[in-house]
Amino acid sequence: MDQAVDGLIPQLELKNVSKEYAQTEESIPAIQDVSFTLDRGEFACLVGPSGCGKSTLLRMAAGLDEPTSGEIRFSGDRVTGPHPKISMVFQSFALFPWRTVQKNVEYGLEVQGFPKAERLDSVEKYLQMVGLSGYEHLYPRQLSGGMKQRVGIARALAVDPEVILMDEAFSAIDEFTAETLREEVAEIHSETEKTFVLVTHNLMEAVELADKIIVLSSRPARVKKILDIDLERPRDRTHSEFVHVHKSIFSLLKEELENTIVRRRIKRLSEFESLSDMEEQRS
Amino acid sequence: MANAHHNVAVERYLWVGSLAGVFLTWELTVRLGVVPESRLPSFTTTVLTLSSSIADGQFLMLVFQSFLNLTGGILVALAVAMPLALSAGLRNRFDTAMTPLIMLAGALPDVALLPILVLWIGPGNLAAISIAAFSAFFPIYFTIREGTKDIPRDLFHVAAVFNTGRVDTFRKLILPAVSPQLFTGLRLAYDFVWEIVLAIEIFSGVIGIGSYIAGTVETGAVSEAFAAILAVGVIAITVDRLLFGRAERWIRRWMD
Repeated sequence: MDQAVDGLIPQLELKNVSKEYAQTEESIPAIQDVSFTLDRGEFACLVGPSGCGKSTLLRMAAGLDEPTSGEIRFSGDRVTGPHPKISMVFQSFALFPWRTVQKNVEYGLEVQGFPKAERLDSVEKYLQMVGLSGYEHLYPRQLSGGMKQRVGIARALAVDPEVILMDEAFSAIDEFTAETLREEVAEIHSETEKTFVLVTHNLMEAVELADKIIVLSSRPARVKKILDIDLERPRDRTHSEFVHVHKSIFSLLKEELENTIVRRRIKRLSEFESLSDMEEQRS
Repeated sequence: MANAHHNVAVERYLWVGSLAGVFLTWELTVRLGVVPESRLPSFTTTVLTLSSSIADGQFLMLVFQSFLNLTGGILVALAVAMPLALSAGLRNRFDTAMTPLIMLAGALPDVALLPILVLWIGPGNLAAISIAAFSAFFPIYFTIREGTKDIPRDLFHVAAVFNTGRVDTFRKLILPAVSPQLFTGLRLAYDFVWEIVLAIEIFSGVIGIGSYIAGTVETGAVSEAFAAILAVGVIAITVDRLLFGRAERWIRRWMD
């Protein structure tokens, strides 16, 4: 751990991670040989075509799923299951509807057996950080989408993690609220110096938040490119450099999508040809 | 504004008026000689008989007996149905292996099973509790199974991310998540079980309020029979309101 602080060992490291899903006879590769490292306090965004396996990667980093081969290391230790210093925020918010805001944020500390007083301090601190002080006793059904996600973020922060994984965390919120929330997350990131990994298909969002963008190919997911984003913060979407970076990633992804379409056509064509070959042989 | 408030209060208690209307019609039907008193005791006679029966003490003992059969049956059903339903809701393979069998068993008419059961184990509390448990099992099983299947996957992911142990996953996730369906199941079971417990007491002589009703009818004491039936209705609805009303209010607080 101390070495991680020194920067000798990366905070999060993926080494040749692959994932295959066993189908009836053959296994279908979903993720192929993905490697990257994140330093402490980095904000990384995983972008890629939809359905490419970004979320699966994130779930593996959370210890919810295991890679078929390769390994994931947190501060040098191999991740084999959920880790108390790795926390997660979900697209669906995933709040417990029967728990109040307070009890939802408290959840992680509660199951880890922290005393009540400590839990309350932590809840108060993080609810204030996400701007939800005074909403402690409301139930999730009484909150808007944006507020629900604030609770989700406070819950993830409350266990004082070193890595926060965010799975499409802003996708289920209306754009205007999402924008405010992104700004707040950027602020929380700079204040807490925790490591963030956000999976998203929103390139604007990625360029706005990330220190590092990992562009994945379409299924099976491979690392297509890793970009360091050195734009000044807070970032301005209309700034020419912002627009430039956004454009370059956009064309990368577009190229990827076009490749996929061509690949699919070739596949279909070859299937068609082998089919007509068979028919020729038959006749 | 005050007027609107007043109207809401009045509307909430409109049923009291309708009920009074029913009792009044009943009273008049008998008093005016439309139906002879020997067939249908008047409302006032029924209430008077009921109060003297209650004063007797024995009546309350019988109600208690029926209640024991009913509660015992529901508790046994809950203890058996809960683990099965949770397993079926969480594991598809278990579900496909078990649920068709349970559906088959559920299609068996419980009233028809009554005499067989009494033949096997005699007309006692054990028979009553067994048949009550049988009736209560199915609504409890199917509602909990549905409720378990409906738990969003992401909530399990949250539990896993925060390293929730098995016991806590049950206590803090599965149990509250299925509680609305669990209460629906228990409520349905409660209705079913009242009927089947009365049936076994009336037809097989298991001691309880049902055997009392059967006895009064046999000796022609119609007003006692009516008083007992009225009492069962009142008790059933009171317990329902006290027990399930509270649960319902809790669930309404957080459910969409």
